[in-house]
Amino acid sequence: MIPSVIDTLSQATQDVFETMVFREISCEGQIDAEALRPQANVVGTVGLAGSPNGLVTFYTSFAAARDIASAMLGMPAGDVNGELTDAIGEVTNMIAGSFRTRMAEIGDAWTITIPTVAIGSDFTIKPLVSGRRVLLPFRMEAHQIFVELLLTDADAFPGETRGDE
Amino acid sequence: MRFLIVDDSSTMRRIIINTLTKLGHDDFLEAANGREGIDRLSASSVDMIITDWNMPEMNGLEFVRAVRATDAAKDVPVLMVTTNAAKDDIVEALQAGVTNYVVKPFTADTIREKIDAVFAK
Repeated sequence: MIPSVIDTLSQATQDVFETMVFREISCEGQIDAEALRPQANVVGTVGLAGSPNGLVTFYTSFAAARDIASAMLGMPAGDVNGELTDAIGEVTNMIAGSFRTRMAEIGDAWTITIPTVAIGSDFTIKPLVSGRRVLLPFRMEAHQIFVELLLTDADAFPGETRGDE
Repeated sequence: MRFLIVDDSSTMRRIIINTLTKLGHDDFLEAANGREGIDRLSASSVDMIITDWNMPEMNGLEFVRAVRATDAAKDVPVLMVTTNAAKDDIVEALQAGVTNYVVKPFTADTIREKIDAVFAK
């Protein structure tokens, strides 16, 4: 049975957290289509170049990002400062890379771009393309984090049940 | 045993060093890209190189080819740690001179197995 795109992204995210962040996370379902983008202070993005093109975006609060960086680096959360951007970029890179590798096994081959990370308290990330979008919320202890996948081909989620139908 | 860790991500260098420390190693040099890696190798000898693929200035493949062209480090084993895990990527890396390959995300056990496999050859 071919795993779904959404299951593949969810599993890639959970594997990155289990092996590199040393934190368990659980997926809390999926938010489809026209959902508002989550409010976040730290947003990592990696592009997928191929057919279709796409974006993997990782959203966290400052507190969650600090905990993630702390866990990855093996240092107290209070000592995390300049490392935060690099750590979230690396998490986003590994999620996108792992997703890309798994998808390549079932047909879709992408090249991934280098990660970019935006940090702030009042901003919105808005890709200037349309297509199919899904947002996966995850729970990491007290924190909620989100992973979003946008693909330019609206039919790029074969076999998925669309939440807006 | 001395390792040279080459990665533009300071987070990933730290994770690799933490992992190697857990495995009992304690001698590390660091570089943020291939060019810095070549500079480190011109000043110090190392027993193993662990490198990323995607880096600015000089990427991992260019770095490995440059290493293999030196007299001093041409035989040093190179472990590539990267998210590039498609079959074609692995073939390209091995052809460039990479000795073994670790796909991110990885566990400490995976790193240990790959290092053991390199030195068992």
